[in-house]
Amino acid sequence: MEIHVDKDACVGCGLCVKDCPMHVYELQDNVSVAVRPNNCMGCLSCHEICPAQALEHRGIYAARRHYIDIKVCEMLRKVI
Amino acid sequence: MSAGYIDELHEAFHSDLVYRPEDIPLDCSPKPKDLEQTLHGVMKLNGLVIRSLEEIAGRGANAVTYRAGKKFGHEVAKYFQKREDVEGALHELSDLLRGQYSFEVWKPEDKETFIIEENGETFIYLVFHDCIVRQTLRRNGLDQGGPLCQTLFGYVVGAIEEITGRKAKLEIVHTGPNACLKKLILK
Repeated sequence: MEIHVDKDACVGCGLCVKDCPMHVYELQDNVSVAVRPNNCMGCLSCHEICPAQALEHRGIYAARRHYIDIKVCEMLRKVI
Repeated sequence: MSAGYIDELHEAFHSDLVYRPEDIPLDCSPKPKDLEQTLHGVMKLNGLVIRSLEEIAGRGANAVTYRAGKKFGHEVAKYFQKREDVEGALHELSDLLRGQYSFEVWKPEDKETFIIEENGETFIYLVFHDCIVRQTLRRNGLDQGGPLCQTLFGYVVGAIEEITGRKAKLEIVHTGPNACLKKLILK
């Protein structure tokens, strides 16, 4: 598992540090650093909680997504 | 309502198909793509049932759904091969849950084995990747870890108990949008 933190985007809020149950992240000089990437089980809570969307995971299993609203998708397709 | 619409409805529900009692469909109909709306309807309905149950029964809702899941686990797993070893039991379990849930055995990097013994407890970490419960909760904007998750808990516990003949317990360690970490405690 590779975790990349965009240092320019990270605001150093520490939410990922608090939220991760496996203590994958640590704040170093007000920037989040993935110090234990091998402990990551790929829940992606950090993606959801990060206000700056500064995180990127590579080599992760993306779970099936059944919940995407069909009608919203249809509308989006018309717009995009 | 116009007569035109009623005729249209009659037309939609009329066919020349000859259907005999012995005609057992071998495939699910319609095609999976057309089932998308049905799936969303079921997810919505399940979410509403769980929300209402929580409103009426409060914390008791968890006990109801856990019990339901456990019964389901015992029911389904009784047709599966009985295994004494945990690894074999988990293999049976993953076959049992196929298509609805997928999970892997997981360990933190500081642990040497997947079967962990700590504070007098023997347990295994399971990471659930695909999960219909999580999909349903996210479809309805409900919190994870509530009564609907308890059905999965019961299901896994019931199935493990049935396969191994040992008592088991499952605990939520963490829930996330892409995976959930659970602890299977063996007694």
